[in-house]
Amino acid sequence: MRRPTDVVARYVDEAGSMNSSASTPLLSASRVSMTYPGTRALDGVDLAIYPGESVAIMGPSGSGKTTLLHALAGIITPTSGEVVVHTPHGAIAVNALAESERSRLRREEFGFVFQQGLLIPELTVVENVALPLLLAGRTRATAEAHAVEWLGRLGLGGLERRRIGELSGGQAQRVAIARAQVTGARVIFADEPTGALDSVTSTETMTALLEAATEDGRALVVVTHDDQVAARCSRVVRLRDGRLDVQAATTVSGASA
Amino acid sequence: MSSMTDVRAPAPGRLAPSRRRAPIATLTWMLARPSADSVSTLMLPGIAFAITTALLLTVAGGGVMFWNWPDELNAATYQVLSGLALALLVIPLASLSGAAARLSARRRDDRLATLRLLGATPGNVVAITVLESVMVAAAGALVGVVLYLAAAPLVGLIPFGGAAIGAASIILNPLAILGVIAGIVLLAAVSAVVGLRKVVISPLGVRLKQSAPRMSWLRGLIGGVVVVIAVVVLQSFGVLPDYTAVAVAIAATFAVGVAVLNLVGPWLIWVFARMQVGRARTAARLIAARTTLEAPKVAWRQVSGLAMTSFVAVVGGTGVSFLIEEGGPANELALYVDVRTGIIITLVASFLMVACSVGVNQASAVLDRRDLYVGLDRVGMPREVQEQARARAILVPLCWVSLGSAALGGLLVFPLAGYALIVAPTSLLVIALAFVAGIALVALSLVATRPVVTSVLRSPERAQ
Repeated sequence: MRRPTDVVARYVDEAGSMNSSASTPLLSASRVSMTYPGTRALDGVDLAIYPGESVAIMGPSGSGKTTLLHALAGIITPTSGEVVVHTPHGAIAVNALAESERSRLRREEFGFVFQQGLLIPELTVVENVALPLLLAGRTRATAEAHAVEWLGRLGLGGLERRRIGELSGGQAQRVAIARAQVTGARVIFADEPTGALDSVTSTETMTALLEAATEDGRALVVVTHDDQVAARCSRVVRLRDGRLDVQAATTVSGASA
Repeated sequence: MSSMTDVRAPAPGRLAPSRRRAPIATLTWMLARPSADSVSTLMLPGIAFAITTALLLTVAGGGVMFWNWPDELNAATYQVLSGLALALLVIPLASLSGAAARLSARRRDDRLATLRLLGATPGNVVAITVLESVMVAAAGALVGVVLYLAAAPLVGLIPFGGAAIGAASIILNPLAILGVIAGIVLLAAVSAVVGLRKVVISPLGVRLKQSAPRMSWLRGLIGGVVVVIAVVVLQSFGVLPDYTAVAVAIAATFAVGVAVLNLVGPWLIWVFARMQVGRARTAARLIAARTTLEAPKVAWRQVSGLAMTSFVAVVGGTGVSFLIEEGGPANELALYVDVRTGIIITLVASFLMVACSVGVNQASAVLDRRDLYVGLDRVGMPREVQEQARARAILVPLCWVSLGSAALGGLLVFPLAGYALIVAPTSLLVIALAFVAGIALVALSLVATRPVVTSVLRSPERAQ
């Protein structure tokens, strides 16, 4: 399937270079710990995310899955340990960045899909998807044109002018996937992306997410309780009481249905 | 060491059924007592009720002062004009008190839903809601009385009748103050019940609305026709036979202006917002315009009180400025100067109430949509963009409404306004400065809500 035109030229360059150096992780966490008063949410977690892979983070409630995702994405700063993003321009220590710089990193390098979608209900579908590009300084015409391409690719052609309230749950999640992809993000973080969907819509949404998020040397990190979702990822990471329990790689052929 | 869960221990015995009614007061206290969430659940509505009470008492005190005006010659005039000013302030004041009550009622939806799941009856839920709202409103109203008394010396510096009115002149008797407190508490109780019904009917509110509201162009057409007729009629001002006819014409102008503003206001906001959506080039402008377009009537309601005050400020201010420059007997001149002072105070008071109302509504909106704010922060939307979108969604309609209404007033008394601008530029400049100060006041109220956003974003991992 044709990939929508990249509006950020460096991502096109970068995709080629990443394919040639797949051994360099896109993102790595070493000895990451996170402590809240009275709780140790993460305890010395090491994890590396490589180009083209999809990693499922599983574990019981309270095991630290979402905290790990937030630490990897620079949403929170770990109490100790280090998270490093490897870009074509060099490695960036996320912990050392100021809040505004981390915000920019999330905007430019990462994409996010949440359980509730968290789309802006007042905006139309195409405006929601174009928003990250507007924030990156693109003109509205360019941003919306690119958003339309992504929407078409995700099977949402013709719904561009609809409002979020007019969409089904699965359609809204695909809009969120388009929004996460539109800047050419290198790592997509998804937190229970199918948690609010029925089984058929869940399968369709994961297919869309896996296809879009892992091509061209990009990667997907997904927090899930759902074994079927995890089974479709190329690797499963299990957490228990904030520690990495088992790190088992499943066959890549099982991914990206 | 004993285990946290010891399955070998005998299960606690089943409690005997109780015929007693649910202890509403105890449950209310358990839900309302100070906690980490106090700022959002109790402090904010409490502050809103305090400000509402202080402003209501000050306005009522001013009205009573004019009712007891010692200058017998002009007493009737002062009473009529103060009545007009009070009428103008009713809408923004009602808007503010409504915002305070709604905020108080909305804050506890989640806890009440949990109570229902645990078996509380709808009657229990209503009782807890009303009791908590009443407690918060009463506490806020008492603080408001203190604020009112503390501000009285400052308000007392305002000159009327050639001298400062003095703090004592606007202090109401204790019975009247108790009456105001009772009114505020009653309003809170009624709003709590109404708010609860709305929650039951539509728990997800505006967010699931499937289609954006549309406004009929007929509103614009009717408004335009009325304005044209009014302008034509008012051009005959100069040939009106006597003072009474002029007074009737002014009253008619006021009535027509108010009616037209209420008819056309929401439609104009809708039209302007649509234009803004089309022209938006940045994320902040797009979000702000879409927010306004989503609920043009809500946007109008928030600032509509200002529309009427702005309209009157220009029509009345122009007339009074003109009369002051024309000169006349000393007592008449003093009256005109007082009317001008009254206009400026009414304008500033309206802006103050709108500013408080905006502050309360914005704090409430941020808390209601905390998931969305946190989500947008996570995807990397800069904080400044979020703030700009919030500010534009309020300030753009505010400027349209206040300056648009002022322009409409100026159009209706165009020849007089032009003449007054030439002969009495200072008077009109003072009124213009009141507009600028008022808009700045509303902008400040938005700045005051930034800590609410900060607190929502500070602990994103706790927000879900």
